[in-house]
Amino acid sequence: MPPVGNGFREASPSAGSHRAVAAGSRVRLRSRSAQESRFAWLMISPGLLLMVMLGTFPLVALVGLSFFRLDLSSLQRTGWVGLGNYARLLADNRFWHSLQLAAIYAVSSVTLQIVIGMALALLLFRTFPGQGLVRTLVLLPMILAPVVVGILWRTLLLTPRFGLFDYFVSSIGLGSHGWLDEPTLALVSVIVIHTWQWTPFAFLVFLASLHALPVEPLEQAHLDCVARWQELWYVILPLLRPAIVIVLILRSIQGLNAFAAVYAATGGGPGTATEILNLYTYQTAFVQLSIGYGSALGTVQLLLTVAIAVAFFRIRRSEWAQ
Amino acid sequence: MGTVAYKTGARRRRGKRWLSMGGYYLVVVAVLFVWVFPVIWTFATSFKARTDIFTIPPTIFFLPTLDSYIFALTRRPVLAYLRDSFIIASIATALALVLAVPAGYAYARLRFRLRGRLSFFLLFMQMLPYLGLTVPFFVILSRLKWTDTYQGLVLVNLAVVIPTATWLMITYFQDLPREMEEAAAVDGATHWQTFLQVMLPQAYGGVAVAAIFTYLWVWNEFLFAVILSGSKVRPFTVGMYGFLQFEENLWGPLTATACMAMLPVIIVALLAQRHIIRGLTLGAVK
Repeated sequence: MPPVGNGFREASPSAGSHRAVAAGSRVRLRSRSAQESRFAWLMISPGLLLMVMLGTFPLVALVGLSFFRLDLSSLQRTGWVGLGNYARLLADNRFWHSLQLAAIYAVSSVTLQIVIGMALALLLFRTFPGQGLVRTLVLLPMILAPVVVGILWRTLLLTPRFGLFDYFVSSIGLGSHGWLDEPTLALVSVIVIHTWQWTPFAFLVFLASLHALPVEPLEQAHLDCVARWQELWYVILPLLRPAIVIVLILRSIQGLNAFAAVYAATGGGPGTATEILNLYTYQTAFVQLSIGYGSALGTVQLLLTVAIAVAFFRIRRSEWAQ
Repeated sequence: MGTVAYKTGARRRRGKRWLSMGGYYLVVVAVLFVWVFPVIWTFATSFKARTDIFTIPPTIFFLPTLDSYIFALTRRPVLAYLRDSFIIASIATALALVLAVPAGYAYARLRFRLRGRLSFFLLFMQMLPYLGLTVPFFVILSRLKWTDTYQGLVLVNLAVVIPTATWLMITYFQDLPREMEEAAAVDGATHWQTFLQVMLPQAYGGVAVAAIFTYLWVWNEFLFAVILSGSKVRPFTVGMYGFLQFEENLWGPLTATACMAMLPVIIVALLAQRHIIRGLTLGAVK
């Protein structure tokens, strides 16, 4: 890096000052902006290059691989199959099942995060001793590695009889359950685990946004209950719309990308009851070593992500137009 | 966040809210119970003797012991797991910062062709599907014989953290006042001098945000690690999962490992709590 800087420093005063004397400020401005552009490219290109190499290129390769049959377990059948993997995909019930589960998983956990996070933010939005502490402590689940969260829920909390959660449920008379062993219950459990880890995020974002509101909508003490609900619906929620959109988009993308917690808690089981698209892709590409078909599954995931990203761009475009 | 604003008397005088005082504290206790208690419970379990772990009802008072820690450290290669996580996260963070800080400054403050388009590209690159990224990485790294190496894992993590760290730096540089930059230009400073001597010292806070966020992300990463690591290089996330596969009832060593792996990050993250939210919202919430 230093050589670049030195070269730059030498080049700039000579070119700049000569032209400035000769042709006045417009030329100086133009040469300054040419320099600026050159300097900016120096600053961004290493990162850009690596991003293209490590991010863009692999995704292009992913789409490319999806047109091949490439089974690392039986290499002799390797070859171009065109859209063959996609035809197989359309007829693959396990794929549709995993896509459906991914949708259920992402939609329900994002909805729960937003509803619970919003409710808590509204309830706890006031100045109080202890609020700073609450804000700090609820960060804890988010800091934990998702795989650790999955492992801890599977063992310490959900194990029948000895798990803490199971103990509480059975002690209020609802009985002990195989939370991760019954198909429907297992799906609910992995959704709850994800919701548990990420609701604090929605809560903290909404709380920060409430504190940043220009007005104090919650403050009219004389309002009755109906008026309060109306105020919430017509005044507060519209004002919080940007925060809700941010949480919605970011959490949807992360929800679709979720892997570690489910993998650690159930591994997709029992059977395929919690096998969301990501886990099926993993199973296909890295357990069965069907790289080609796994790439086709990965491409579906890519398309879903792009769809959400496009929605995100549309919403943020106004901010970036400048 | 208006820390000062909401502590003033004007707000405190306010009348009824949605909840009474009692209701407020009830919700606070419920929140702490749901989100904090499981973490404390994990911590407590790591100090329990095996006989105190599997009891009904769960043991609340017990004689603390370090047995689980000793077991984890001596009978399992937990130290090696932590070392590998540390090496990968440190290198990835250092590289990401070296690339992201100058780039963030350029995107935020300098005018150049394609700036708008490249900013979109940057935003999009943060939304990569991780598993889709892993398939070609697996193929390429296998060809290079780079699976199960530090460099392989660093590279795949960089694909995710460079865009995010750059974006965080952009939002930080955008918020800095322009006056000093303009003064430096009037004084005839070069762009490089302006960046290095004027802007960078003001941006240390942002660098810290990007560093913490990047480190945390790589440290906690599991998907890349489970696919691209092996017997030689094994971050703790994969090591812990390995525990689970064969010895599901080793709760003591499991929680002890979790505590050893998570406590350092928890402490740093709690100290920098506001920055975590900033990082997680890509700088949208400050």
